[in-house]
Amino acid sequence: MRTTKSRHAGAGAAALVARVQRRSRAPLFAWLMVLPAVAVLLAVTVYPLIYSLRESFYRLELTYSPIPHWVGLQNYVDAFTNDPRFWPALGRSLYLVGFGVAIELVLGFALALALNRLGRPRTLVTALLLVPVMIAPVAVAIEGVVVFNESWGPLNYLLSLIGLNGPIWLGNRTVALKTILLADIWQWTPFVAIIVAAGLRTLPGEVYEAAAVDGASRWQTFRTLTLPLLQPLLIVTVLIRAMDIFKTFDTIFVMTGGGPGSATETASFYTYLQGLRFFSFGYAAAISYIQLIVISVAATILVRRIRKGLG
Amino acid sequence: MSRRGRLLGDAANWIVVLGALAFFLLPVIWIFLTSFKSQGEVFRYPPVFWPKQIDFRHYSEALGGAGGKALKDSLVVASGSTAISLLVGVPTAYSISRFRVGGQHLAFWILSIRMFPPVASAIPFFLLFQKFHMLDTHSALIIAYLTFNVPFVVWFVKGFFDDLPRDLEEAALVDGATRWRAFTGIAVRLAVPGIVTSALLAFVFSWNEFLLALFLTRSQVRTLPVALANLVGGHEILWGEIGALTVIAIIPVVVLALVLQRYVVRGLTFGAVKG
Repeated sequence: MRTTKSRHAGAGAAALVARVQRRSRAPLFAWLMVLPAVAVLLAVTVYPLIYSLRESFYRLELTYSPIPHWVGLQNYVDAFTNDPRFWPALGRSLYLVGFGVAIELVLGFALALALNRLGRPRTLVTALLLVPVMIAPVAVAIEGVVVFNESWGPLNYLLSLIGLNGPIWLGNRTVALKTILLADIWQWTPFVAIIVAAGLRTLPGEVYEAAAVDGASRWQTFRTLTLPLLQPLLIVTVLIRAMDIFKTFDTIFVMTGGGPGSATETASFYTYLQGLRFFSFGYAAAISYIQLIVISVAATILVRRIRKGLG
Repeated sequence: MSRRGRLLGDAANWIVVLGALAFFLLPVIWIFLTSFKSQGEVFRYPPVFWPKQIDFRHYSEALGGAGGKALKDSLVVASGSTAISLLVGVPTAYSISRFRVGGQHLAFWILSIRMFPPVASAIPFFLLFQKFHMLDTHSALIIAYLTFNVPFVVWFVKGFFDDLPRDLEEAALVDGATRWRAFTGIAVRLAVPGIVTSALLAFVFSWNEFLLALFLTRSQVRTLPVALANLVGGHEILWGEIGALTVIAIIPVVVLALVLQRYVVRGLTFGAVKG
């Protein structure tokens, strides 16, 4: 009896494997090769996701009581209606995303045009421009703390040489968020510039010659040829930057700690505060889910773009 | 355009480029110089550009203190996570490239994980590792970093396998080699430059990571970014030592940026830009 049953199960499994293979036309060997990675990725993503989704329906405040209790959607309702800090924090994240992406795109474009006019030195200049991009955001933040220091930092000294009175970069409520923005622009403009420069070099020269023959002005060529041709690449760049700026955490942690007051408290920093400072894990899980949804929308558009191909 | 106009244009272009290089590199150079300054020189106004005395005292202080341990922890975590990512990622890259296993869905599911916000996984990882008594260990960070390293290796190396000709592998199969032999003996060997590059970049991503390290470690394990953040938040801020440790943290990355420049953009854009 038992043997027939297991033989049945074996036959069932074999049939399943055969069916999967037929449908995908990939040999079993191919499936075995992806198995470890898929298992790892399921473990490090799906498991935490389900865990934190469950968590977000509970109120778990270690400072208050070690026993979580079920509150349903209350954490989400609280975030939207009852938390005076969450919306402003989300607003600051979007402020950084909006201005960061726009400024980096404009400066990056200008720098890309300059890069492509260089001859052979372009390779070396590109490599040097990658230094800010590659170093740890925490290292960028430490440079920021030193450079922006209002009493002994070099930046305000340089400004004073040309007769400007530099602001209190990190200690002033109205300036601090702009300083964080400036740090992001410093680190990531070269990245945008290098991508755009690579994109510009792939544009077909004949089209430009034709435009020149037709007597198109520089601005017309830029608007009607360059921008539309580069559009797919620019969209990918904008989405990557937008998602990364939305996640900004390291520079804020080191440079301002979310302050002064809550002037640089962004959504991701506020999540950190709720989770690791206030130990409200349920609530922190709920607001991290809200951010996950915001990022997923951007990521879906990005993946669709890459999928369609850049051409 | 006249020759003169062209020369003037080139000169203006160089001014823009040199201005940009100054803007983007001076803060890094400033930190480098700070690592040699005495505490008095750091606080002087107007700021001192060249330190009076160049010696490596702050470097030995930094490495003798918390920095040495942090350097070791960073090395262990970054190499551990990179090694596992290669081990599971390279076969996956090959399988997706050659057999289109799982169709586009699998490939793009893996890509979308690369974009996961760390703050969303930090809290669940924290609770999970707490449950298994793994907080504050190297393993916790090595596992957590797989979230971004495995998808990165798969996508980056897949691009290299895509570019390889299949003829050699097919010839080997005809000669009776197993598929596994064709993979390890031929494909992997030919893709070594791509695999090494992906390893170095995955190493850098782990080396630089801060948020998950902050959430998942306390005192037993402390990677360089966390150690640096601690030094800045301390009571007495020793700028020379912080400068030295920052330089130690960025030097390997700067060297790699110079060597790998062709591939960095490809890596940072999920292979969307071949550069």
